[in-house]
Amino acid sequence: MPIVVENLVHIYHEGTPLEIEALKGVSMNATPGEWVSIVGHTGSGKSTLAQHLNALLVPTRGKVIIDGIEVGTDSKEHRKIRQLVGLIFQYPEQQLFEETVFAEIAFGPRNWGVPEGEIPSRVSEALYLVGLDESFSKRSPFQLSGGEKRRVAIASVLSVRPRYLVLDEPTAGLDSKGKDELCALLEKLKTSGTGIIHVTHDLELALDFSDKILVLEGGKALLWGSPEIIVEELIERGIEGLVMPPVVELARRLRDVGFDVPVTWKAQVLASAIEENLQK
Amino acid sequence: MKFLNHLTLGQYVPASSIVHSIDPRAKIISVVVVLSGIFAVNRIDSFLLWAVVLFVVVKLSKLPLSMVLRSARPVIILVLFTSLIHLFFTKGEIIFQYGFLTITLEGVMMAVKIGLRLVLLVMYAGILTLTTSPTELADGLESIFSPLKRFGFPAHEMAMMMTIAIRFIPTLLDETDRIVKAQIARGAELDQGGIIKRIRSFIPILVPLFVIVFQRADELAVAMESRNYKGGEGRTRMYPLVWSFKESIFMLFTILTTLLIILLDKRIWL
Ligand SMILES: Nc1ncnc2c1ncn2[C@@H]1O[C@H](COP(=O)(O)OP(=O)(O)O)[C@@H](O)[C@H]1O
Ligand SMILES: [Mg+2]
Repeated sequence: MPIVVENLVHIYHEGTPLEIEALKGVSMNATPGEWVSIVGHTGSGKSTLAQHLNALLVPTRGKVIIDGIEVGTDSKEHRKIRQLVGLIFQYPEQQLFEETVFAEIAFGPRNWGVPEGEIPSRVSEALYLVGLDESFSKRSPFQLSGGEKRRVAIASVLSVRPRYLVLDEPTAGLDSKGKDELCALLEKLKTSGTGIIHVTHDLELALDFSDKILVLEGGKALLWGSPEIIVEELIERGIEGLVMPPVVELARRLRDVGFDVPVTWKAQVLASAIEENLQK
Repeated sequence: MKFLNHLTLGQYVPASSIVHSIDPRAKIISVVVVLSGIFAVNRIDSFLLWAVVLFVVVKLSKLPLSMVLRSARPVIILVLFTSLIHLFFTKGEIIFQYGFLTITLEGVMMAVKIGLRLVLLVMYAGILTLTTSPTELADGLESIFSPLKRFGFPAHEMAMMMTIAIRFIPTLLDETDRIVKAQIARGAELDQGGIIKRIRSFIPILVPLFVIVFQRADELAVAMESRNYKGGEGRTRMYPLVWSFKESIFMLFTILTTLLIILLDKRIWL
């Protein structure tokens, strides 16, 4: 059962002078076990789209269907949707409020009615996934480092075992090691069958990990497809305002001067192609 | 789901109109004069005159009328409540009776007047905040109160606190919105259960909000100090307030209109 978004339009403050059309007819889809990235500038509507997937926003027009449940038709169904789709906001560490890490991670499962006996194992599992050891569970979330807080916040969503995980710029403010670790975690979740919907403005990161990419610009879907398709478009036409990843840019320039190199964003692939070219 | 986006009181809507361009001091004093004028009158026709004046000012300000009307929304409950109390508890000529409920002619008049008065008060105040940016408002207040500095009244500090508070209202609303959403996404239920449960359910929102507020306050203090902010002493303005002929005329109009309506209300010349 997939997530399906069809011609989604969202207008903030409709009918007032502050009216903003944040999404202007966007379509996309995702299935469990798939990694979908939503890429675009600040203000392009990424967060607005992400919040529809969790029924926090309701479409002004168009459809958002989560595993057969349509957002907005029956608000009683929204809790079901929220249990299916975990949403991790930007800077999730700001949502921490409990006295201990254990209670923080248990908050979600308790809200969803997971039996109390099962909670310790849920917490351990979530801590393990984000790479924190058991000793953290008794500490106060407010005394942790920034990186540890973020892991706890992510664990507090994973403990619900969502079928889909939507992350709004989860790498913002992380160093490159933190980014790599987070991506490794998401990859692991994906392999175990979770659908990953990753909102980012980092095209390179999206190309590296995604099965499908949605490029948003000014509330419109500019492109939708596999990384290969996106890169091809980038090279053929260029995408207004999107920074070309350096490797893609290099490949493009090499092709311009007659090298026979593939359209790629992978440094390794480009390097061996250049080597072959030079040997000829 | 929409949270917290119903707040228009205190929201500035920029436009290029004569009302927007008048010096904030003139506007603030005018509003005080007009509010006194509304308190001073007591007849329904006087309130209608005030409504006509309001309509003219709204037209001059180029704001949609609906927006100004909406600025009264936060006090609607208060207005209804006060009006109802007057409707049922004013003694006089009974025009309707049902069980212990009696409505008198005087009661109806009272209810209408109280309602009109409250709504007019809020709307005139609303026009001020809709056409004057928070910074202008604070500058205007500082300037109006600065003669009191001699007696130790912290006019500058008050204005600065007000500016900062107003500046952070939208930011904090955004933060609150985000935290509310984050906790709902984690399964929090904010509007379920009895009163104790409801109060408890705000803890996941209040704690993060306090943390953020203190963090912000800290950062802002550092940012201000590192720019060598030392209070109002010797500070100059980027946009000095100018009181020109226009402002004098505007004040004159305000005072004349107010006097006229009060005189009409009191039937002085009859
Ligand atoms: N709560 C809101 N109220 C009004 N406008 C909003 C709100 N949230 C976002 N917007 C507007 O919608 C547009 C898209 O914003 P957003 O979805 O946050 O983009 P992104 O996440 O890509 O930066 C922006 O113009 C933004 O100002
Ligand atoms: Mg965003």
